[in-house]
Amino acid sequence: MTVWSNVLARRPGADGGRTRVMPRRRQRAARRPAPVTIIYRWDLDKTYLKSDFESLRKMMRMPFERAEDKVDEPGVVALIRALKATARNEGRAALVYFISASPPQMGRAIRDKLALDGVETDGIVFKDQLQHLVRGRFRYLREQVGFKLAELLKARVDAPPGAVEFLFGDDWESDPIIYSLYADVIAGSLDHEALGDILVRLRIDPARLVEIKALARRVVGADAVRRIFINLERRTPPGRFRPFGARLVPTFNYFQTALVLHEEGVLPVAAVVEVGRSLIERSAYTREGLRNSLDDLGRRSHVEPLTLAALRRDLEEAGILATSGGFGALPRRLWRRLIWGRRRRHRRPVHRLEEPRAASTTVVEYQRVVDAWLASGGRPGGEPA
Amino acid sequence: MPVIAVDAMGGDFAPDEIVKGVARASLTTTIECLLVGHEGRIQAVLDSVSYNPEHISINHAAEMVGMDESPKEALRAKREASIAVGARLVAAGKADALVSAGNTGACIIACSRHFRTIKGVRKTALASVYPRQTEYPGQDRLALLLDVGATVRCDALDLVQFAIMGSAYARRVSKVTRPRVGLLNMGTEEFQGDEILTEAHRHLKMLAGIDFVGNIEGNDVAKGRADVIVCEGLLGNVVLKLIEGIADVVTDVASNAVKRRVVWRLGMALLSRGISEITHLTDYAKYGGAPLLGFENLFLKAHGRSTASAIENAVKVAAKAVRDGVPQEVTAGIQAVR
Repeated sequence: MTVWSNVLARRPGADGGRTRVMPRRRQRAARRPAPVTIIYRWDLDKTYLKSDFESLRKMMRMPFERAEDKVDEPGVVALIRALKATARNEGRAALVYFISASPPQMGRAIRDKLALDGVETDGIVFKDQLQHLVRGRFRYLREQVGFKLAELLKARVDAPPGAVEFLFGDDWESDPIIYSLYADVIAGSLDHEALGDILVRLRIDPARLVEIKALARRVVGADAVRRIFINLERRTPPGRFRPFGARLVPTFNYFQTALVLHEEGVLPVAAVVEVGRSLIERSAYTREGLRNSLDDLGRRSHVEPLTLAALRRDLEEAGILATSGGFGALPRRLWRRLIWGRRRRHRRPVHRLEEPRAASTTVVEYQRVVDAWLASGGRPGGEPA
Repeated sequence: MPVIAVDAMGGDFAPDEIVKGVARASLTTTIECLLVGHEGRIQAVLDSVSYNPEHISINHAAEMVGMDESPKEALRAKREASIAVGARLVAAGKADALVSAGNTGACIIACSRHFRTIKGVRKTALASVYPRQTEYPGQDRLALLLDVGATVRCDALDLVQFAIMGSAYARRVSKVTRPRVGLLNMGTEEFQGDEILTEAHRHLKMLAGIDFVGNIEGNDVAKGRADVIVCEGLLGNVVLKLIEGIADVVTDVASNAVKRRVVWRLGMALLSRGISEITHLTDYAKYGGAPLLGFENLFLKAHGRSTASAIENAVKVAAKAVRDGVPQEVTAGIQAVR
């Protein structure tokens, strides 16, 4: 066969239409792996809701609050909606779960609040405080580590295979420890004996300890937790979370969270713009404030410099960030068109969910974390009690 | 909201205390602070404290002027020193005012190089606020002394301009409708002092818009006869350091006395409330900083030993001065006399 006939043979229809050659676009689509399911697990109080339990009076008032009395954290509604919408557009499943240490009696008001905000949820777990009250085990009323870890592991057992997870908590109690333990248990990087020792030191309910150990054996070893976001609601110094490793990202607002999620490949720029816009329009954030938030995230090395530079450019164009003002009166978009003469092509996200990550380099210093946690009376990062 | 540039690398306890002060201001106010200095070192301090990132930005400056360095030589050799970069940023309109606790000489030189002097101003003046005994209803308990070191020697017209600038500052920041202005001299009679002082006295007496109360002697400085006291830089600096020194000595003597005898300890315990009131009154941290007047831009000099709370207050004072239009008021005052 000549070279020419080789070329002809590869051309579609060269054999008179007997064999069908798949168009290149469809070939690429066929090679692409099936979209993975994303699970977003949210803590409720101080993460989704601006719950106020600093004083006993305010705490007592909480069970009687109606849905319309409850206030959400700035930007959180826009972020969850954007996460769901993005997954829908990409044809993948995105499941949003809430886990709360509040009693189930508050469930109705919370469900109503979520419906009021237009947030679609796939499940909410509450803590059954009544059983502790009935049995007189008052110590465990405030215990969160055992309850949340067990519930997370139970949920993981039922999760779709290969699902990746993003976890959202706050800096008020033990979310950083719980989420890190959970991530390491399902990744198989924390053996059961070490887990048992940590939980004993954290003085969790012994009944829960047995349950957690059993669940830990059932979960498949997969490095599924991509990021843990801690909402710095009480402005805990971010450096205190360093022992939790790079997987855990302390963020000061949901704009910062959205920026990291963009780098993770689960939010497009348009969705980040939406979160920013909601903060400006609904929560009186300023464009300068958002620009400073972006810079802060970059300085803390939670987003790669190249992604950050590109994001800054796009967000300035969208009018979400205050511009640095080097281009004079003409808008930057116009300048770029004049210089380059075309629109920039869509950027590929830094991480793709379907691509397996390199083995997690996060090593949590549990010894240090637990020591600090105990010394501080149950506050994350060892903040003095 | 005003943007206040803060020299993060200037001061005895820089950058730690400076950054902590800015972090505090970010939590308690909506003032936007632009920290100028080594980005890595600033972020390292920020990581260890509570702060609100929405109100803090950082401008990297690779170099710094030490407290013991010769200002002229240091600024000549270090073009990217934090104080020089800060002054450039303010001059370029990226910030509304500059705060520094660093080397005073370097601060004055950096401002002179980059800021524009108000038209008609012959010499700039570094002012300092100090506590006084007499209280006037509706006024804060501070008086203004200028110049305290920007100029060494000056003539009669310079002193007159200092009075105008000090008056403008007191009107805007201390909210004194008609500030009482005094001339620091060796006697209350108008012929006292040298030719410069007698000529300055004559001019000030005739000047409309200035409530001139005459000469002020050293023992009247702390009593508070005047809201604004003018003098040449050399003299002002000596007076200022003397006040600070006396406050330090009183505290030292008191604490030593406590250690010596039980009876003295008892006496000091009875006096403790009064002593703490004096300490409170003479605590420079409360007053934040003092302005360098005569430039179109605002510069606030904080004490070299400034702690976080002093810097927090300096930032607040700078923002207040910007909001109240101090440079504009000074300009108007100078123009009116011209």
